[in-house]
Amino acid sequence: MSTAHVLLGLLAGGPRHGYDLKRAHDDRLPQAKPLAYGQVYATLGRLERDGLVAQSGQDQEAGPERTSYELTELGRERLAAWLTEVEPPAPYVSSVLFNKVVVALLAGGTDQATGYLTAQRVAHMTRMRELTATKTRPGASVGDVVAADYAIGHLDADLRWLQTTLARVAELQKEVTS
Amino acid sequence: MTGALLSGTGITKSYGATPALRGIDVTVGEGEIVAITGPSGCGKSTLLHCLAGILRADEGSVVYREQDLSLWSEASRSRLRRTEFGVLFQFGQLVPELTAAENVALPLLLAGSGRRDAREAALGWLARFGVADMADKRPPAMSGGQQQRCAAARALVTGPRVIFADEPTGALDQLSGEQVMTAMVQAVREQGSAVVLVTHEAPVAAYADREIVLRDGAIDPSGIGIVG
Amino acid sequence: MRPGTLIRLSLAGNRTDRLRAGLTAASAALAAVALLAAATVAAIHGGDFDYRPDGRRVLAPGSGQYASALLVESGLRPGVIFALVMLALPVLALAGQCIRLGAPARDRRLAALRLGGATPGQTVVIAGAETAAASLLGSLAGFGVYLVLRVVLDRRDADGKLLLPTDVLPNPLILILALLLVPVLAGLIGLLLMRRVVITPLGVVRRLRDRGPQPWPGVLIVLGLVLFAPKTLQNLLHLTPRHWRLPEWLPLALMGAGVLCVMVGVVVGTGWISYTAGRLLRRYGRGPVSLLSGARLMADPWNGSRTIGALLAAVVFGAGTLGFRADLATDFAAQNRLGELTDPALGSAYDTGFYFGAIRLVLVAVTIALVVAAGGVLVALAEGIVARRRTYAAMTAGGVPRSKLGAMLLVVTLVPLLPALLLAR
Repeated sequence: MSTAHVLLGLLAGGPRHGYDLKRAHDDRLPQAKPLAYGQVYATLGRLERDGLVAQSGQDQEAGPERTSYELTELGRERLAAWLTEVEPPAPYVSSVLFNKVVVALLAGGTDQATGYLTAQRVAHMTRMRELTATKTRPGASVGDVVAADYAIGHLDADLRWLQTTLARVAELQKEVTS
Repeated sequence: MTGALLSGTGITKSYGATPALRGIDVTVGEGEIVAITGPSGCGKSTLLHCLAGILRADEGSVVYREQDLSLWSEASRSRLRRTEFGVLFQFGQLVPELTAAENVALPLLLAGSGRRDAREAALGWLARFGVADMADKRPPAMSGGQQQRCAAARALVTGPRVIFADEPTGALDQLSGEQVMTAMVQAVREQGSAVVLVTHEAPVAAYADREIVLRDGAIDPSGIGIVG
Repeated sequence: MRPGTLIRLSLAGNRTDRLRAGLTAASAALAAVALLAAATVAAIHGGDFDYRPDGRRVLAPGSGQYASALLVESGLRPGVIFALVMLALPVLALAGQCIRLGAPARDRRLAALRLGGATPGQTVVIAGAETAAASLLGSLAGFGVYLVLRVVLDRRDADGKLLLPTDVLPNPLILILALLLVPVLAGLIGLLLMRRVVITPLGVVRRLRDRGPQPWPGVLIVLGLVLFAPKTLQNLLHLTPRHWRLPEWLPLALMGAGVLCVMVGVVVGTGWISYTAGRLLRRYGRGPVSLLSGARLMADPWNGSRTIGALLAAVVFGAGTLGFRADLATDFAAQNRLGELTDPALGSAYDTGFYFGAIRLVLVAVTIALVVAAGGVLVALAEGIVARRRTYAAMTAGGVPRSKLGAMLLVVTLVPLLPALLLAR
C-alpha cells in the first residue's frame, strides 16, 4: 500500500501524469527499487476507483495521449492520515540475515555459521563503502545523501548485530543444540 | 608491495608486561585511505601512533618513502610530522589559548612561516571546512564539531602526504561526524594524500578504500574475530 | 620558528598563566632589589683599618659619609652583603614556587604544541621564554624600583651623614650581572622543575619515583648544624697555632656554608618528612580526612614539601642571621676586650649603637623573608587547588563532603610543616 501513498504524496504538489509520477518517484527515492510503468498505472487505477484521485485533463503535446491526475478531497485526507499514523516498530523479527544465521547454526554448526558471517560482513562493508562513495561524491544531491544514510544506518545495524552475535555464538550454539 | 608510501613490518609494542601489538604488517599506498578497526583495546591507536612516529615500536620497522623512521631522532620525527604528516585525534589537539586561525596556522608557524602567510593559508582551510566565521574564536568558545573541523583544517594545512586520524568523529554527534569526514575525504582526494583512519564504527570505516581489522594486537583476516 | 611566533606562543595563556607571569616578575623584582642593594654596599670603598707605624690604626677615607658603622667599616660590610644576598634566597624560592603555578595547564598546552609539530627543543624554548621574559621584566622593574629608592631614601641624619649608601653605584658590570642573575636562576629553576616531565604529543608523562624519598638530606642538616655552631669556630681556634691569624672571612664563610647546608637539607629533606608523615597518618589516622591526606602525601611527597620549602628556607635564614648577630656580638666583645688589653683608649672606638642598628636590620630582613615565604605558601596552596581541581570536583561529586575536603587540604599543607619546623629549629 506504500507505493499508493507515495503517489498521493507526489500529487500533493499539483496534477501530474503517469510518466511524470514515475520520474519523480525515482528522483526523490533514488536508492529505492525503480517503479515500473505498469505498476504506476495499476496503482492510479485503484486510487481512482477508491475516489482518492481524479482525472484532471488530457494533453497530447508530442506523442501519445497523456492523462493527468489530481488529488481529491478524500485523497488529501487519506494522505494526511497516513502521514500522522505511527508505523508499528518492527513487531516481528523477519530478516533473511537473522534466519540464515540461526539456521546455519542449527544445520551446519559454528564453522558454517562463521564462514557465512565472514562473507556477509565483507559484502555489507563493500556495499557501505559504495554508498559512502555516492554520498561524498562532490555534487551529491540531498536525496542521494538521505537515501544513502538510510541504507548505511541499516547496514550498520546489521553489522553491529553480526558482531554481537559472534560473541554469543558459543552460547547460542549450546542453546540450539541442547 | 612496491610503491608503498608508508609501511610497517613486524610492529611489536608492549606497555610494561602488556602486549599491545604483536607483529603487525601494514602498507599504505599513495593517496590510499586505510581504515584500522577493531574493538576497544585491540591496539589500533597504538598502531597509528607507531606509524606516525609518535611512539617508537619495540620491534619492527616503519618505513616512510624508503626511510626507516625507527632510526630517526625525536626532533626529526617531529619535523616530519609537521611537514609530511597531519594528525587528527578525537579531541584535545587544539591549543585552548590560541584562536582557531592560529591553531590551524601552528604547523606553518613552527616551521618558520611568517604570520601573515600562515594566517592566509589557515583562513582558506577554515573556509573549506565551513568554519571561516570561527577564525578569531578560541576553542572553548566553539562546539565540538567546529573544533574538530578546525583540527581537520590544521591536519591538512601543510599539504601532508599522510593524515593520521584517530577516532576523528568519536566525540561528535553523527551529523557533525559525517560533515567532518565528508569534508576531509573530499579534501584528501583532491590533494592526493593518504589517510590512516582508526575507528571502531563501520560507517566511518566505510569512508576508506580498505579495512584492516585488529583483535588483541594482531590482524584478524576474517574481520569477525575468528582467528585461524 | 620566527621570533614573533616564539613571543606569541610563549605569551599565549589563560588567567593562571598571566598570574604566574605576574608573580614570577614580582618575585624577580624583589630579588633584583635585594641583589642590587648588596652590590651597592659592595661598591663602597674605604673604611679599612690602616695600621700606622706607631701602632695606632685609623679608618681609611672613603666611607666617612655614612651614619651607620655597618657601612663605614670595611670589616662589617661583608656581613651586610651576606644578609642582603641571603634575603634574595627566599625570594628566589618564591620565584620557583610561582613558576610551578598552573603548570599542569601549561604542560597540556605544550603537549598540544608538540602534536601540532613542535620539536621537543621548541617546546622547551617556548616554556623557557615565558619564564625568562617574565623574570627579566621583573628584574628590570626591580632596577627601576632600586633607582627610585635611591632618590627617595637619600636622607641624612642630624650630623649630615648619609643613612644609606645612596651616593655610590655598583660597577656597571656587576649591576648587569645582578640583573641577569635572577632571570638565569629562574630559568634554571624552571628547567629543574621540568626535568621529570616529558612532554610527548600524546600528553604529559611524569616520571615516577619508584621509591620513597631517602633520608640522606639529614646528613646535610647535621653537617650544616656543626658548621654553624659557635663551638666549631672555637675548636678551630684551639686547633690552630696561636700566632696564626685566621682570615677574617672564615667565621662568615663557615656560617654561610652552614646556613646553606641546613637550608638545602631542610628543603630537600621535607620530601622525606612528608612521606613519613603521610605513612604515619595512613597507619594511625582515623576517619577519611587523615586517610585521604596521608595517601596524598605519600603519592606526591614533593608537592607538600615544596609548599613549605620557601617558608622553611626563611626560618632557617632567620636563624642564620640571628647566629650572625651572635657572632657579631662575640666578635664585638672580643675586639673590645682585646682593645682594652692592648690599648685602653681604642676600646671606646666601638659604640653599641651600630650593634642595635644591626639587630634592627636583621629583624627587618627576617620579617620580609617571612612575609615572602608566607606568600609562597599561599601560592602553593592555590596551585595545589588549581592543579587538582578536577579530582576534588570528582570527589565532591562522588559524595565526599566539602568540609572533609577542606580539612584534607589543610592537613596536606600543614602536616609536613610541623616536624620540618622542629628540625629547622
